Amino acid sequence: MFHQTRLKSFAVTAVIAGLSLYAIFGGFFPREIVVEIALLAILAISLDFVAGYGGMVSLCHGAIYGIGAYAYAGMTAIAGFDAVTGTIAALLATALFGLFVGAVTANISGIFFIMATLAFGQMAYVVIFEWKALGGDDGLSGVSRYDLSAIGLDLDDSLQFALFCLALVLVVYAVAAFALRSSFGRTLSGIHSNENRMRALGLSAWKHKAVAFSFSSVLAGVAGILAAQHTMFVSPELLVWTVSGEVLIVVILGGLGTLAGPIVGAALLVFLKHEVSAYTEHWHLIIGLFLIAAVMAGGRGVYGQAEHMLRGRIRRPADA
Amino acid sequence: MLEVTELCKSFGGLRVSRNIAMKLEKGERRVVLGPNGAGKTTLFNLLAGTLQPTSGEIRLDGERITDLNVEQRARLGLSRSYQKNNLFEGLTVRENLALAAATARGGTSSFFSRIHESREVRETIEEVAEMVALADKLDLGVAHASYGNRRQLEVGLALATKPKLLLMDEPTSGVGPGMIDAFHRLIASLPRELTIVIIEHDLDLGFDVADRITVLNYGEVVFEGTPDETKGSDVVKEIYLGDWQDDA
Repeated sequence: MFHQTRLKSFAVTAVIAGLSLYAIFGGFFPREIVVEIALLAILAISLDFVAGYGGMVSLCHGAIYGIGAYAYAGMTAIAGFDAVTGTIAALLATALFGLFVGAVTANISGIFFIMATLAFGQMAYVVIFEWKALGGDDGLSGVSRYDLSAIGLDLDDSLQFALFCLALVLVVYAVAAFALRSSFGRTLSGIHSNENRMRALGLSAWKHKAVAFSFSSVLAGVAGILAAQHTMFVSPELLVWTVSGEVLIVVILGGLGTLAGPIVGAALLVFLKHEVSAYTEHWHLIIGLFLIAAVMAGGRGVYGQAEHMLRGRIRRPADA
Repeated sequence: MLEVTELCKSFGGLRVSRNIAMKLEKGERRVVLGPNGAGKTTLFNLLAGTLQPTSGEIRLDGERITDLNVEQRARLGLSRSYQKNNLFEGLTVRENLALAAATARGGTSSFFSRIHESREVRETIEEVAEMVALADKLDLGVAHASYGNRRQLEVGLALATKPKLLLMDEPTSGVGPGMIDAFHRLIASLPRELTIVIIEHDLDLGFDVADRITVLNYGEVVFEGTPDETKGSDVVKEIYLGDWQDDA
């Protein structure tokens, strides 16, 4: 069960504060890194919601991310709707896609669930790739960032956009945490722990899982909308399944089922990637070694391991 | 309360349950006995909804539930416990009971309420913990609980849904001799208005807690009566003695 422990609050605050300072005192390039981390963190939180707390390890969150980005870009840059309508449409599109995938895959478990979500992700990729009105494989440009001049913000400024993305990481984290502590979230943890027993207690588990997947997809959609605004351009690359794989790596690296871990994992992965790639092109190799080490050290991830060690000291009730 | 008529279940050509009929009054404690392979577990699964009968009918409070699945039956107040503990691992006793109580209460799909921590659910948890003698172990992680405690929680999860009908699958399975009596007392002390069907192969449980006993053999009801009648029954003696002789 999810509990917003002090350690979680501390870890989230520390990472976000650290990244904010990095963006404020760094130049353009550090800000790009911060945005990259923020997008990945939001996506990883959304994946952790279903994978870590619902046992649904999805390999189509990259596709959902892309659907959010494309829906926003299509609505604003092609159809000419305003940003609010575009945002609502994008969130709705991801919610519906998530609900559909969730409903179809809810009764599939284990490796077959992973394969099914991968298949759905690939289908979305192919559709977008072939969709000429959305630019096909050329992608779609002309996406503009939110106009927040009414509250004195200029998102075309790299620093303000980076801070805006970090703020949304906090919002998404808070929304996910709130959901996990609600009746819905507790029930989801119950399904994760013992789905058969939940059904014997009278729960329609598949409906619950479908809604959970949909909810998670909306969070991934937020990352998609930001991604479209960040580069002001969307391409089918966003939906490639390796994006889903990378998000899963982030979640495992940070700590599956910890919610705070994915933020730590995102920062770690992106920094590692940029630091290592300064020396060698084979940064994947280093990430791979890191991942193997993380999995072999108990599979709790960097944040999860810290939480585990501290909990052993103060013996809090189980936090699964 | 519970009415079973002409219930049959075949697996291919094998007729595992044959024309089973049972009628329970509200508040009755019925123990279903029988040697290994008598079809007890099949009957249990037919009642719980994990198996669909080949023919026949099951009625709960007059309502036909034959075609309903496990979760639909659960929502009508039919609750079950398992022969092998089937708990929420990794959570505490309290969290386990909260999941059961809240799920049965409904409203678990809400993002804006916290039923699991509501006063109503908390009261149910305390009430049930008292019934299954776990009141002082609420914050114990299930993974660290003793086998006996886990067995008690198994019954507690079924009770936390506030069922009308409780189905128990060998509740004392695996419980050591020292705890058997305590477990029988626990079952006997459950609220009187609760109707209970217990599937068991241990005769003593039947004699300790049952109002009436049904004996199955080869998928058929071969005897039904009060515990005293059962003790005096030649049919039952033959089945159980025969069983012992086969084992020896």
